Amino acid sequence: MARILVADDASFMRQMIREIIEAEGHEVVAEASDGVEAVACFKEHHPDLVTMDIVMPRCSGIDAVKGIRELDTTVAVVMCSALGQESLVTEAMEAGATDFIVKPFKPDTVVETLARALEKGGQ
Amino acid sequence: MSKYRDVFLEEATEHLAEMSRALLELEKDAARAESIDLLFRMAHSIKGMAASLEYDAITQVAHRLEDHMQEVRSAGVAVDVAGMALLFRGLEMLESMVASVRETGEAPAHALQLNPAAAALVDPPDGEGAEKKA
Repeated sequence: MARILVADDASFMRQMIREIIEAEGHEVVAEASDGVEAVACFKEHHPDLVTMDIVMPRCSGIDAVKGIRELDTTVAVVMCSALGQESLVTEAMEAGATDFIVKPFKPDTVVETLARALEKGGQ
Repeated sequence: MSKYRDVFLEEATEHLAEMSRALLELEKDAARAESIDLLFRMAHSIKGMAASLEYDAITQVAHRLEDHMQEVRSAGVAVDVAGMALLFRGLEMLESMVASVRETGEAPAHALQLNPAAAALVDPPDGEGAEKKA
């Protein structure tokens, strides 16, 4: 079982991904609704994996990945992107993200990607 | 899916109210970066939620608004008159489609079937063969 932090500004998306994560037997240790909160929750909870939305207020998911990588180089960070955000995904991977999933979420793909990211950890 | 529909309705309604306020701010200052950024994020968020519930008509209009705001953001320019008209029309379409989900519990009809004025915002329904918009 992994301890996971979910960061997304839409509670709809947080709820959807939480359900997929919990159905796999993992634990959601915290939810964050922007990039600043994501980094703060990371410091507090030290999760095994973070799911990180890219477009969020105050501090984007990409900047939050950079903030987390300054604190921890091994944690797995999976970006949640939308179709048409390929350049942002590339930027996030360069900033240290482990992998990415594309909305709308397909439960099987999410489960496979998270499992792979947990094995890989930070790059 | 009905519980997700309820969350969608609640969150989309809040987002639309925020978009409406941001549009009023843009009317006073068409280059206001906070309003441009907010409209981009809210349209992006509505697109993601609607796509998850297969509300294709809402997804399409929200995507169009998101793309337009992304162009404005990237160029660092003010929203022009045509852009404002697009945003007002798009917001109106989104509001009517979200209201339709609330009333019927079903995915809304294609935007053009609800309002012919949506032509600048969406592709035609399948089978009507018009040129695809960007």
